Amino acid sequence: MALLEVKNLDVRFAVRGGDLTALRGISFSLDKGERLGLVGESGAGKSVAAFSVLNLIAKPGYIAGGQILFEGKDLAAMSERELRKIRGNRIAMIFQDPMMTLNPVLTIGTQMVEAILAHRKISKKEARAIALDRLQKVQIPSPEKRLDQYPHELSGGMRQRVIIAIALLLDPEVIIADEPTTALDVTIQAEIMDLLLHLCEQENVALMLITHDLGVVSQVTQRMLVMYSGRIIEQGPTRDIIDNAQHPYTGGLISALPQMGEPGARLFQIPGSMPSLKNVPTGCPFHPRCEYATDECRQAMPDYVQAGRVDVACFEVSKRIEQEKHMQEERP
Amino acid sequence: MTSPLVEIRDLEKQFDLSGSLLEQITFKDGRFQRKQEAVHAINGVNLQVHKGEALCVVGESGCGKSTVARTVMGLLSPTAGEIHYDGKRIDNLKGRDALPYRRKMQMIFQNPYASLNPRMTIQQTLEEPVRFHQPDLSQSEVRAKVQEVMQSVGIDPDWGARFGHEFSGGQRQRIAIARALAVDPEFIVADEPISALDVSIQAQVLNLMMEAQETRNLTYLFITHDLAVVEHFGTRVAVMYLGRVCELADTKTLFANPRHPYTQALLSAIPKLEDERPNYIRLQGEVPTPVNLPSGCVFHGRCPHANERCRTEVPRLIATDANVQVACHAVEEGRL
Repeated sequence: MALLEVKNLDVRFAVRGGDLTALRGISFSLDKGERLGLVGESGAGKSVAAFSVLNLIAKPGYIAGGQILFEGKDLAAMSERELRKIRGNRIAMIFQDPMMTLNPVLTIGTQMVEAILAHRKISKKEARAIALDRLQKVQIPSPEKRLDQYPHELSGGMRQRVIIAIALLLDPEVIIADEPTTALDVTIQAEIMDLLLHLCEQENVALMLITHDLGVVSQVTQRMLVMYSGRIIEQGPTRDIIDNAQHPYTGGLISALPQMGEPGARLFQIPGSMPSLKNVPTGCPFHPRCEYATDECRQAMPDYVQAGRVDVACFEVSKRIEQEKHMQEERP
Repeated sequence: MTSPLVEIRDLEKQFDLSGSLLEQITFKDGRFQRKQEAVHAINGVNLQVHKGEALCVVGESGCGKSTVARTVMGLLSPTAGEIHYDGKRIDNLKGRDALPYRRKMQMIFQNPYASLNPRMTIQQTLEEPVRFHQPDLSQSEVRAKVQEVMQSVGIDPDWGARFGHEFSGGQRQRIAIARALAVDPEFIVADEPISALDVSIQAQVLNLMMEAQETRNLTYLFITHDLAVVEHFGTRVAVMYLGRVCELADTKTLFANPRHPYTQALLSAIPKLEDERPNYIRLQGEVPTPVNLPSGCVFHGRCPHANERCRTEVPRLIATDANVQVACHAVEEGRL
């Protein structure tokens, strides 16, 4: 059984003039120790997906349907009290901006000890020892000194290390990291990503990594899913998708990267931009920007088809697979 | 080679941190002491931008790349050094004398959410610079000009009556580009113009800027932290670290054969699609504060090849090949 299984999740936001659907029929699973990447552009719903795994969707948002099974128990149906035992304890979260996550008026040590004591019945001294151990694990220079420092005394990269140390405090099964390195410089980003990967492997923690950077996904994750306008449009092993993307959007996104283009030449560009939730087009939400769009795409939402080890929601791909099947059958 | 369009000579810029005289004075060890501190944002930068090229300035936060951009544009005045445009010194010009250069040089900013006036319609935003710089144009000529730039950046001229907030980030950046193009500039400084945008929109805006360069004969000074973009866009690249240029080379050579240890580390840190694991050169420590600059080479504290000379003597940019200049003692001595 998968450690975490999200089944047919729908998340909506109640606003004046009706509900906006932020997530539509999201299904994916995460095994113990597995690293999964969630990719998409802003507005695709990746962060909503991450927040809803912890049932952290705040009003006016709500989970309209589906299940979030963690070790077989449905987080979507749990009470706040039960959820609190899981959040931060079994499933930890790392956010984009470390300055927003750390309390500016408490020392690093106080914040770490507080987090431990919320879940464990141990003495402050023992908790401080655990905190120190985790700071050592994230390779912060002079960790004892850091315990008594305030967040503003640390650099951005160091703060994100502290955040990772806090996520590891209670030996979680899953870490959800929402764009953990977006606010950092490239050289620091490389260090933090390497550290996170190394720790997840060493402690056998499952990682759900939300990012818009396909290079990072390729370096860190084993499986990935691509989101567009609140839907998963492609899902499968990371290498398979990066090397041979099926969905026209994924393919376009990869070709649009400057590192893929011929230097000095025009970059491949996907026309238009992601629709807002207020007016999602009918049928496949990508059809207004897609070069393969047909009437079928404009009317109906494509179902998932299997292309090798990858699940894709695209009529064009399913047509191609059908054709390939025919060709094989016709051959003696 | 012909003379450069824009030349930056021995540029230095410091930002004072110490405040007023009273704030500088402290009472210590039985007597009053006066302490002055400054951020050394740029420490002796020499760059030349040639006509028709796109010179990219790359570096991490705090390296002074945006300060270079702002000083060139005259938004900041240099502490020392000179800026020349087409052979004429412009950093000391004031008022009416500076006016022609304000038209010839335009700037595109990073955040299109902040650079458009929220209370002006797009039409007003685009008309204002045209009216200011060409006051003798008639109403219909101004309109025609605005229509032309809007079309060239892919914004429907009928949307002129709308306000900035009605557009997406990519469209706003197009409008910001249109505003720069409206006065027929020769030289454009773009400060991280695509950093706030999504990948698929980044490609659109980059293509638009390349198109404008070809059709309007523009010269760019392009500031960015994203090396992958540079490989695609730039003719030449200047890599900056702590207010100094550590390597200046044409794009192809820099990417094929980076010489300076910092450039090598920076290049290796870009996450590449073909990598299955993070694969990069580890640097020791973090970027030092620009308030107390390290002695010698500013990079020596993090450099794996640093020796005694690096700790004491500031390296100068030295040409190693036809199109490459590197400021590194190790490269100069042949150790690297």
